[in-house]
Amino acid sequence: MVCVVSLRMGAYPISVRDIVSTLFNAATGRREEIPVEFWQVVFGLRLPRIALGILVGASLSTAGAGFQALLRNPLADPYVLGVSSGAALGAIVSLIVAPHTVGAIQMAAFVGAASTIAVVYFLGRRGGQLDSPTLLLAGIVAASFLSAIIMFLLTMVTGSELRSIAFWLMGDLTAPPPTTNVLGWLGFLFFVFIVAAGAMYTTSSDLNLILTGEQEAKHLGVNVNRVKFVVYIAASVLTGLAVSVSGAIGYVGLLVPHVMRMLFGTDYRMLIPTAAIGGAIAIVLADTLARTVVAPTELPVGAMTALAGAPVFIYLMRRRMR
Amino acid sequence: MWRGASLYSRGFFVGREFTRAGRKVFCVIYFLACCSVTQRATAAPRQTSSFKRAAKFVTDETGRRVAIPFSVQRIVTLAPDLTETVYALGLEDKLVADTTFCDTPAAARLKPHIGSPQAPSLEAIVAMHPDLVLATTSINRAETADALLRLGISVYTSDPHTVRGMLNSIVRMADLMGANEQGTVLVEKLQARLDAVHARMAELPLVHVLFVVWEDPLITIGQNTFIADALRWAGAESVIVADQNYPQVSLEEIVRLQPEYILFTGNHSESNDDHQLGRLRARPAWKALKAIQLGHIVKVDDEITKPSPGLVGAIEQIARALHPDVFSSRACGGSFDVRRGTMAGVFARTRWERERDFCAL
Repeated sequence: MVCVVSLRMGAYPISVRDIVSTLFNAATGRREEIPVEFWQVVFGLRLPRIALGILVGASLSTAGAGFQALLRNPLADPYVLGVSSGAALGAIVSLIVAPHTVGAIQMAAFVGAASTIAVVYFLGRRGGQLDSPTLLLAGIVAASFLSAIIMFLLTMVTGSELRSIAFWLMGDLTAPPPTTNVLGWLGFLFFVFIVAAGAMYTTSSDLNLILTGEQEAKHLGVNVNRVKFVVYIAASVLTGLAVSVSGAIGYVGLLVPHVMRMLFGTDYRMLIPTAAIGGAIAIVLADTLARTVVAPTELPVGAMTALAGAPVFIYLMRRRMR
Repeated sequence: MWRGASLYSRGFFVGREFTRAGRKVFCVIYFLACCSVTQRATAAPRQTSSFKRAAKFVTDETGRRVAIPFSVQRIVTLAPDLTETVYALGLEDKLVADTTFCDTPAAARLKPHIGSPQAPSLEAIVAMHPDLVLATTSINRAETADALLRLGISVYTSDPHTVRGMLNSIVRMADLMGANEQGTVLVEKLQARLDAVHARMAELPLVHVLFVVWEDPLITIGQNTFIADALRWAGAESVIVADQNYPQVSLEEIVRLQPEYILFTGNHSESNDDHQLGRLRARPAWKALKAIQLGHIVKVDDEITKPSPGLVGAIEQIARALHPDVFSSRACGGSFDVRRGTMAGVFARTRWERERDFCAL
């Protein structure tokens, strides 16, 4: 339903009927009957954007749910561990070194995220085990250290690249994919998402036990280290994926898992899929608003998630306290 | 993904623990889901280009190979300077949409807008059915041009870094829009005006100036910007030498360098020059600048910030303000149109001041 609304809304006016007929004609292979502009708007712009929004939202909030369990800290989100700063650094380096290479930003952002994850992982180990407080501290230190490097590099960037970076840092779904085969690209991203989110889902009953306490979980026969490793890697891959295609979109990874917890309880077997769906809905809605509120100009979707997300979160929190 | 989600939740209601078999089932489901996604991806039709008319291939100023229709009837501009160029070429009837920033000439405000230059709505651009979209590296993002090209829309991106580069850009864009002659005439006219300024300035040393892009924090121009080049045409040189396009500089450094004149742009300073001067004279570091003490501030027309035909007017204005002796023989403001009335005012004021000083002697 959100998708339909999102398809309908936009600077280019299309009625629901036209969208349905466009989709129908496309599904039945009668492409000639679709006006070129409809094809461009629906298939060239809106559908890829919605698909990307679903992917990014689901990835971020699943990763957020994972990190919150892993660190047993309600403030944890994908960015706390420095992943987004690492990705941002990668993106900026790629813009300085190879500003016009297609796909370089995504690749560099992913490499940046992955290397930050690796470094934080090794810093966060204590006596051969992943220690939550140490990991959290390592992540925060890494994040601020990387942010400092970003600030330094930004002074060396000239005008036109600076604009790209600014949008990227605010979260942006408008950037074109690195290949002309949009569906292949989205398919590849969904494949990675399904693998990582699925891996995390297999640990969900163990996560429930870990939430009650690591010692207790150990006594109940849970291989805590293995679970932590799987969740950490899966959540990091999801974050890296989301950040590399859309830049740093804040709040979703933090808020959506909490909202879903308030609505559906803390059982991780329920929480992970609902968080994925909720995150997808949140981003698609936020992006639809971002496209339409000050149309024809577009707001960065990251600004929209924070703007709309914070009041919703506070409302739910207050309601639950009563 | 949705089907998978419903299965997950059913699994949740059935039992509390995942069995080994359950995990295997999940793995199979992921695998199938992934296969179906990738299969659909390869089977679905790809977007083909939608060029309606015969097109020629040109290389734009950023090195992109782009197809441009031979006959361009509908133009969308993504930056104020491009809008101004289109108007200067007399092609305003072909301009179907511009940005919310386009305010020069005034008629450009009435055109439909497609959003801001940095974040235009791609849909709105599509809705205008443009034959040609004009973009520039001076304000647009590369992503916008890439996304439009991906949709099969012709985009030409200009990349002017100097005044001459701007003139060359105008010729190229005029050619693409089928206004070759107008382009040549316009550029010849502008070049003649530049040469006239240059001829008067040839013997004079460059005046050292501080070009204030933003006052707090103090942001000025780097040497590779077209503004720096425009200043050189006007017989001036920025005291700051920086590779970065718009560097933030410390006021201490400016006090050390002591520029002879300080240039402000019109949009960023008060309407009343004396008020601004008074305010700056009251500020700690600014009042240590000799240029402020002497009242050597020039308010430059906003045109200086855009690589467009109006830039030449701004160059003339700066040249007059900085070298009043050379220009004093000529009637003040003769070549300005109504829109640039403010410049004539600035020049007149500086002349009055000089005459007043002269009388005082």
